Amino acid sequence: MSAEALKSRDSGGLSEKGLKAGSVGLIGAVVIGVSCIAPAYTLTAALGPTVSEVGVQLPAIFLVGFIPMLLVALGYRELNNAMPDAGTSFTWASRAFGPWIGWMGGWGLIAATIIVLSNLAAVAVDFFYLMLAQIFNNPELADLSTILPLNIATTLVFIALACWISYRGMETTKSFQYVLVAFQLLVLGWFAIAAFSHVANGTAFDATAISPDWFNPFAVGSFSQFAAGVSLSIFIYWGWDVTLTMNEETKNPEKTPGRAATVTVLVIVVIYMTVALATLSFAGIGDTGLGAGNPENQGSIFAVLAGPVMGPFAILMSLAILSSSAASLQSTFVSPARTLLSMGHYRALPASFGKISPRHKSPSYATIASAIAAAGFYVLTRTLSENALWDTITALGMMICFYYGITALACVWYFRAEVFSSARAFFFKFLAPLVGGVILLVMFVKTAIDSMDPEYGSGSEIGGVGLVFILGAGVILLGVVLMLIMYKKNPEFFKGQILSRGKETVA
Amino acid sequence: MRYVVGYSATDRGCDAVNLAVALARRQGAHLDLVMVVPEDSPYAVVYPPDAGFESILTEQIKKWLDEAVALVPEDVPVQAHIRKGESEAGALIAAAEEFSAGLLVIGASSYGIFKRFTIGSVASALLHASTVPVALAPAGYSRTEPITRLTCGLGTRPGAEDVLHVAVAMAARRSLPLRLVSLVALDANSTETTVSDAQAHLDAVVRSSPTVDAAVLENLKPDVVVGQGRSIENAVDNLGWDDGEVLMIGSSRLAQTNSIFLGSTANRILRSLPVPMIVVPRHYATGHNTGTAQNEVTL
Repeated sequence: MSAEALKSRDSGGLSEKGLKAGSVGLIGAVVIGVSCIAPAYTLTAALGPTVSEVGVQLPAIFLVGFIPMLLVALGYRELNNAMPDAGTSFTWASRAFGPWIGWMGGWGLIAATIIVLSNLAAVAVDFFYLMLAQIFNNPELADLSTILPLNIATTLVFIALACWISYRGMETTKSFQYVLVAFQLLVLGWFAIAAFSHVANGTAFDATAISPDWFNPFAVGSFSQFAAGVSLSIFIYWGWDVTLTMNEETKNPEKTPGRAATVTVLVIVVIYMTVALATLSFAGIGDTGLGAGNPENQGSIFAVLAGPVMGPFAILMSLAILSSSAASLQSTFVSPARTLLSMGHYRALPASFGKISPRHKSPSYATIASAIAAAGFYVLTRTLSENALWDTITALGMMICFYYGITALACVWYFRAEVFSSARAFFFKFLAPLVGGVILLVMFVKTAIDSMDPEYGSGSEIGGVGLVFILGAGVILLGVVLMLIMYKKNPEFFKGQILSRGKETVA
Repeated sequence: MRYVVGYSATDRGCDAVNLAVALARRQGAHLDLVMVVPEDSPYAVVYPPDAGFESILTEQIKKWLDEAVALVPEDVPVQAHIRKGESEAGALIAAAEEFSAGLLVIGASSYGIFKRFTIGSVASALLHASTVPVALAPAGYSRTEPITRLTCGLGTRPGAEDVLHVAVAMAARRSLPLRLVSLVALDANSTETTVSDAQAHLDAVVRSSPTVDAAVLENLKPDVVVGQGRSIENAVDNLGWDDGEVLMIGSSRLAQTNSIFLGSTANRILRSLPVPMIVVPRHYATGHNTGTAQNEVTL
């Protein structure tokens, strides 16, 4: 045997299915879906801002918001099946539209995840102090989170911890997710029942009778409000599509993902409707006191309402939101880091972003860069905005519409040759993503234009321009600038030499 | 015979490759370098999902494995493998079982100045679960010449015969010089122990073991010594170690059958030891109490 032959390499193990193959059943997949959505966190963050836009038509908007999400997710699933090894907006959009739009698709995804990271950390910090106050029966502790330097410092600590856990490659376990999801659903259900019983007993803050009109999306005052409401409700379903992209890890790849997606959305819609109706019935949409329309309450509705509604058990709500936002904070860190790593790997960003830690086999540079970006974004919004949580969620809704829209249209363009090959292809690869993508991009443009108004969102402004616009459009513009700098420094990627269009494999 | 090397692209990975080469050259073994691609648990809920990361990571791991193969001298047969798994230790053990490996070699991480061995998380998980003997390379192990002597540490608790059996098999394979250290003084906390006590201890171990062949042991003409000192650390220092030496000890009696669990004595030895150490799982050789077939011990 020659020395060459001895040094053979055998990577045959790669083609083997991983250990996770076939390990997730229907209930597991639903738990994963619900956990990704993180309903307790989502509701506390998005309910207030949505009420401020659409008032009592909150249930209607929550229902309507699911339609573009569904349409886009169907396109996502097709892309995921066609390019299973390259599942990100960056690579998908690069393959379909070429490097420039691909770059912006990746940037949109990174920006959205960075924004949600800073919001998750901030919500976790609010409920952390609120929980301390509830444990020690000392309301002053909850006010600690309003002290700006302390708030910023605590938030940065939360971000740093999540970054460290993610860098070490540590993950949440199955049993943890089951407990987390069950606990969230239980506490939200408890909140709704408690709110309705206050209404029945006449002890509600502003008892408001449920009317069929609440479910009529056409009763929303203007298209501006409608667009803003829809872009916010995209956020509340963000994460649902993960069930559709599950494949080999499910016990029955033919049926489980579809069924899990259906059951997940039913669970989520039921819980959202119940909590939305309970909140509106209990608190009304008035702009004083506990009213859901009170700007003071917009940033984090349960921080205000859980106490009056649930009494001493409000601590459970704090615990549910703290645990779900902290868990999401940690798992969400993985995503922007991996997309940054992909972009570094394909030379769309400096090569250092593509570094992988030899010890932990996780993105090293990119994880730390994500943490710095999330921390920077938070410090910026916290100091500039009168209500940072509210404004970041509104900007986040815009950003999700932006990158989802691009990805949906990437699906249409990528499969353009197959459109008329079958009725199924026409619907899933063309019609659904086209309609979904167009709706989202229209919502994005409309919200962006409206958000230039200094009164938009929490009413923060810089030089007469609304802060939400500056955050949303500013982040996208920053992306364009960075993209041009990258083009100057390293044009290889932008000439399509690394990730080429079409179906060829990666160079 | 095959040795599995749990490689990582760090200094610890180099230590492991060096030790594996030194062992393989002396014993005539074939090396299997294994790197594990960490797999996301579906319950880690990574969102938005990015399936592209795994292919980039795999590409990087292939490059790292190329570098690892280049570390192995031409005279040692080597193959590289990639395995997937949620747990690195679990995937390494599975690979070692799949290849019927006689040894799993890894680098023990060390950051202390005085402690040669500090156990990293993967090494620690391996030491608690491995079903094959685990060889730990001390930090900075750079020797690749064949090992020169095997020292076997024998305690007085049940399980000593397992280690002795494996040590005898390893030494007999190619007449590797063998030294037997009785830890009788340490276990009994006595300072008046002599070599004859050690010999008596050894004879007792041989008698109680159904699998150790006294004649083979006699042929090997092992040195028999007593480990003595004010403390375990002191005893380890007093023993005197060759550069090319390797210590073999058994895992704790707390270990489940066929897996390793370091006892407190072994842990303290590990912290002060200047040479590599091989830890043998409980009942690895003799397989009693298990009802399973005996392992073929060829190290």
